[in-house]
Amino acid sequence: MQDDLKNEQLARVNIYALISRILMNEVDEKLLKLILKDENILSFFPEFQKWDKRKKMSNKDLIEKELNVDFTNLFLLHLIPYESFYIREDQQMETGGDNPVQMLYNDFDFRVELDEARVMSADHIGVELEFMYKLCEAEYKALEDGEETIAAEIAEMQYNFLKNHLVEWAPMYLLNVKSEAGTAFYFDAADLAIEFILSDFEYLTELKNSEFSYKAKTGDNNGY
Amino acid sequence: MDIKDLNELRGEFEQLQKREMQASLSDRSCATDEESREDYPDFMIAMYKEIMPPAKSGIYFSRWDLKAMAAEMNESFALDIRERMFKNYMQWVATPDDMQLVMTQFKKHIDTKCDIYKEYSEKYPSSKEIFDKKIKKAESTKKYLDKVFIEFFT
Repeated sequence: MQDDLKNEQLARVNIYALISRILMNEVDEKLLKLILKDENILSFFPEFQKWDKRKKMSNKDLIEKELNVDFTNLFLLHLIPYESFYIREDQQMETGGDNPVQMLYNDFDFRVELDEARVMSADHIGVELEFMYKLCEAEYKALEDGEETIAAEIAEMQYNFLKNHLVEWAPMYLLNVKSEAGTAFYFDAADLAIEFILSDFEYLTELKNSEFSYKAKTGDNNGY
Repeated sequence: MDIKDLNELRGEFEQLQKREMQASLSDRSCATDEESREDYPDFMIAMYKEIMPPAKSGIYFSRWDLKAMAAEMNESFALDIRERMFKNYMQWVATPDDMQLVMTQFKKHIDTKCDIYKEYSEKYPSSKEIFDKKIKKAESTKKYLDKVFIEFFT
């Protein structure tokens, strides 16, 4: 696989993994250390970098007194991070097996442990982003194995999932996370998630317009 | 009047008819949007069923949004279940003037969100189609607010 393409695909895998983790559960010390240590990751959090409380408080206090409180407000109490609420005219959440997203996961054999993830239904934003992460990871592996046709099929699935699901509803939710965040961390996390979802949709649309030809996209005519 | 004048007159008349037909078609497409909404016994139910669902209005009104909108009118409501907060907000409406104030808040909130949708559409053109649909729903929702006012407050 060409280096540019490899780096691009790896970046997509890693960013989906990062944002799905952040939007699924509370931050723990391990995750916070990872973000603070890695300059590349920290650059996604410009307001958090400048935030006074981050500089003054210990990681433990920052998590317990600020970040977890904000997570509870934004993901459990006051806002609704589930797709069905945004697409159903009755504003109800579909927590059962009839949830169209759950049915889609079943087709791909993507199992969601709701208890473990501590979510009420499979159309939680963190779970949908994790699904994208899994698809990107599978696409990356297919490209590494030289299976371009399979990779292209997986990329098309990603395009359809973003178009029909995440791009359709996630910005509505994430805009409110941004405006209601009580910490610089979740403000940045929401901004990163919106911008990344929309820019990845640009990337996939471009790939789709080239009929999912990686060669056309990278300008590489020599194969992988 | 000679034949040339008559032909010009006929041409103008045909153009006028064409324009009127196009205007009537475009009016009908807007009206279809409005008419697709159900009739409700009171304004509170009408607004909850037609404006509050993001699927219908293209806009998410959260608990904090409702609280902030009320605060703009110097009113304060405790954070509560979203539906209950909405009812508290609507129960404050006693006169047509109150309703106008509430409508102004809803429209302002809708416009703010639509401006952000437009920014994203420009920055990420592939998402434009999706955001445009939301903006269209939001514009239709603003018209529906006017309809609610006329129906229940005049």
